[in-house]
Amino acid sequence: MDLGLIIYALNLSAIYALMAIGISILWSSVGIINMAHGATFAVSGYAAWLVTGVMKPVIADILGNGGLATFAMAGTLVGSALVAGALCGVVIYLLAFLPIHDKPNFQVRALIVTLGLNIAAVQGLLWTFGPRNQGLPKIFGFGRWEVWGTKIRYDQAGTIIGAAIIMTLTLAWLRYSRRGLEVRAMMQNAEGAAYSGISRQVTALPVLMLTGALAGMAAALLSQTIFVSPTAGVIPLVKGLTIALLGGLGSVPGAMIGALLVGFLEAIVGAIPFLGQRYVMFATFLFIIAVLIIRPRGIGGLLDDTRE
Amino acid sequence: MPELLEIEKLSAGYGPLRVLHEIDMTVRAGERLGLVGLNGHGKTTLIRALTHMSGWQQGSIKLDGKEIGGARSLGAGRRTPGLVRMGIGVAPQGDAIFPGLSVRKHLECGAFSKLAWRERKGRIDRIFDIFPPLRPLEHALVGKLSGGERRMVSIGRMLMTEARLYLIDEPSLGLAPKISHRVMEALWDLPVEGAMIIAEQNVALLTGRADRMIGMHAGRLRGDVGHVALN
Repeated sequence: MDLGLIIYALNLSAIYALMAIGISILWSSVGIINMAHGATFAVSGYAAWLVTGVMKPVIADILGNGGLATFAMAGTLVGSALVAGALCGVVIYLLAFLPIHDKPNFQVRALIVTLGLNIAAVQGLLWTFGPRNQGLPKIFGFGRWEVWGTKIRYDQAGTIIGAAIIMTLTLAWLRYSRRGLEVRAMMQNAEGAAYSGISRQVTALPVLMLTGALAGMAAALLSQTIFVSPTAGVIPLVKGLTIALLGGLGSVPGAMIGALLVGFLEAIVGAIPFLGQRYVMFATFLFIIAVLIIRPRGIGGLLDDTRE
Repeated sequence: MPELLEIEKLSAGYGPLRVLHEIDMTVRAGERLGLVGLNGHGKTTLIRALTHMSGWQQGSIKLDGKEIGGARSLGAGRRTPGLVRMGIGVAPQGDAIFPGLSVRKHLECGAFSKLAWRERKGRIDRIFDIFPPLRPLEHALVGKLSGGERRMVSIGRMLMTEARLYLIDEPSLGLAPKISHRVMEALWDLPVEGAMIIAEQNVALLTGRADRMIGMHAGRLRGDVGHVALN
């Protein structure tokens, strides 16, 4: 296994982890399996495309064409994707959480509503922008480094580092802030959280905005490797959901380990000559099914302890 | 001046099942009330109904003269955080602990008011003074603690923020007699400004210590049963 393969695997893992952690946190604290996560991903990608399209001449005007301009461009792209993702979270809060959160079978209702939102958003994007792929500006540049005889593309390195930073920030927020403590309390025992004065209605909003922003970050980072299109969110959604399941819904470390395992599995299967890219999905699902047969609660296996 | 807690015609239940039948009850400030009765006669449901945790409920509940009751058919727990913030502290049956959080984090969870959050260090220290066995377990995960320690954590979480009304559901449930005595002693020693309602099956633990003992049978109150002489 050479370094290039490892970098490629880490690159995949970074995107998957961003999606899976969002789905996992949201399910265990609020109780929504967010099928609109893919739509959030696509909408964030388009928002970043629109904003950078508008801002490009402005930035070029003020800062010229140097490194500073690239830096400003990167900030605009990532910032707009994060904001768009968080706004999608607000929309999901208003449509799929507030009206139904105290009705019976909330989980099933939320699943249906978010699935509807996903379809509507994808169709809306198709309607507005058409099916054409859109390329976003390359914020990490086009070059590559030579490390021990392997070439590492800037966008790969940037994706891995960017995702690592965002995930560290998320975990630190969960661990050290009062709001994060409330989210963790809600993940582990909803009744105990209520008796500690932690309101689900209030806490759900920041959780939805955070998970939306994570999807936005994934979109911004993936846009450096592939194009943005209305259906771009489908594969990340499916991967995110299955990896969240593999990690044990509700376990953040489980989702991270799951993302790493699947990322490396896909990279390795893709590199084996007689298997190749067309067996990647097959191998992934085979692996996930095998793990779930052996450990039905996933890698983290926290699910039953935390939700009664 | 209104009484601390006034309950009028409170009925509650789960789905088609009616557990409480039009209960009337008042609790004065500073009172420690023992609620006794057998399993399945509505003690827990009464405590849950006071914080809107029952399946459905109707009837008036007044806390310091402010109406917090009303009819509700769905949405168990929806109003609970708000009521807890209004000053109802609850140590629920089964403790409702967070298995993956440490003892300290649990107590921090209980400090939901701004004042309590700012003073959380001092307050956690106070809880450790009340329940000394918790001090060495400060960073242990509560999911790995024994039943008695969990009970202490649950009661400690309730005590992190001042409440006007403390509801404690079966503090001795599932504990060895020696440990349950210790938990009860700690409860009696608390300097409580508001009132306290303790639901308990074991009359011996309450007798002689509670200000008033109310019996409960088949979802109705049986009035003041007085202290039972035990020898």
